Amino acid sequence: MRGVKAVPELSKESRRFIDDLRLYLFSSGKKEEEIREIAEELEAHLEEAERNGKPIEQVVGASPKEYMEMISNEMEFDKKAWMKYIPVIIFGAISFTIIGQLVEDMRLSYSYAILGGSALVSILFVIMIFGAFKYMAARQMSRVKEFLIILPPVFIMMTLFGALVFWDMTTDLPGFELGVMPSMIVGAVTVAILMWVSIWAKTAVLLVMLSAIHVPELLLKLTTLDVTISLIINLVAMYLIIGIYMYFSFKKMKKADAAAG
Amino acid sequence: MSQTQMMKGILDGCLLAIIRGKEVYGYEMAERLSEYGFGEVSEGTIYPLLMRMQREGLVTSVKKASTAGPKRKYYSLTDKGRQELEAFLERWKRLERSVNEAIRQETNEGSEGSA
Repeated sequence: MRGVKAVPELSKESRRFIDDLRLYLFSSGKKEEEIREIAEELEAHLEEAERNGKPIEQVVGASPKEYMEMISNEMEFDKKAWMKYIPVIIFGAISFTIIGQLVEDMRLSYSYAILGGSALVSILFVIMIFGAFKYMAARQMSRVKEFLIILPPVFIMMTLFGALVFWDMTTDLPGFELGVMPSMIVGAVTVAILMWVSIWAKTAVLLVMLSAIHVPELLLKLTTLDVTISLIINLVAMYLIIGIYMYFSFKKMKKADAAAG
Repeated sequence: MSQTQMMKGILDGCLLAIIRGKEVYGYEMAERLSEYGFGEVSEGTIYPLLMRMQREGLVTSVKKASTAGPKRKYYSLTDKGRQELEAFLERWKRLERSVNEAIRQETNEGSEGSA
C-alpha cells in the first residue's frame, strides 16, 4: 500500500521515549526536519531491537536524559524558525486582552508599555515553559507530575501580566488607539490564530479560558442585574468553567497514566 | 557506559570501517559492533556519531523502504570519509604499537603478572 505509512508496533516505553525525545529537541529549538529524521531512525531501531527481544536500555543506555543531550548536542539551534515564532508568541500573549477590549467597547487601545511588557513577559514565559518541557521530557514522569511542573511558569506569567495590567490601569501611560474597523480586523485575525494554535497543539485550553473569561460577561450584559451581583456571578462562572475543564483534563491524564501502566 | 573522547574516536573509526564495505543502516552497524565485542556500548550511541560524521561530510545517507517495519536510513562513505578512515587506521596502528610496546616492556620488567 503506497502512501500509507507502516505503523511499527512499538512498546509503550519506546513510544514514550520517542515522544519525549521529540519534545526535548523541540524545546531546545532544533530544526523540525532534523528532529523528524532522528526520531524516525531511532524508532526503526527500537522497533527492530524489540523484535529481537532487546530491552530499551540496550539502545538508549541507562540514562535517557544523557542520551537526549548527546543527540541534542549534534543538532543546530533553528534561529530562523524562532524568529518567526516570537511574533506569534507575543501576539498570543496579548490576544486575551484584544478579545477583552473588543468585547468591552469594540475598539483597541494600547499603551506602549503594555505592548513592550507583554513581549518581555511572553519571551520569559517561553523560556521557562521550554525549560519545564525539557526537564520533564528527560525524566519520563507521570502525566500528573508533568502537569504540576507546568504550573509554576504559568503562575509566574499570570502574576507578571496581572502586575503589568494593573500598572497600565492605574497610570496614564502613552499609547495609541485603533478605530472600530481596524480593531475588528485585528480581532478576527486573533481568533483565527487562537483556533490554529489550538488545533496544532490539540488542546482546547486557550479557547476554554477565553470563553470562561468573556462568555459570562457577555451574557450578564444582557441582564439587568445589579453591578456587584453581576461581577460576583461573572467571577464565580469564570472559575467554575476553568475548574470543570481542569477536572476533566486531569481525569483524562490519570486515565492515560493508568493505561500506560 | 561513559563516553570518553578517546572511545568516541575509536567508535568513529570502527563505524567508518563498517560503512566502507557496503551501504548499512543503523541497526546493522550496532549489531556488528556488538559482535566485535563492543557490547557494553549502548546501541543508540552510534546515532549522534553518525549525525556528526554526516555533518562533516564523511558519510551520506539515503532512505529506503524495508520489507518489515519502517523505512531505513542507509549510510555510505564519501571520498572524504575514505580519507578519514585511512588516517584513522594509520593513527590506530601507531597507537596500538605504542600501547603494546609499553605494556610488554613494563609488565616484563617489574610488576607481578596481572591479566
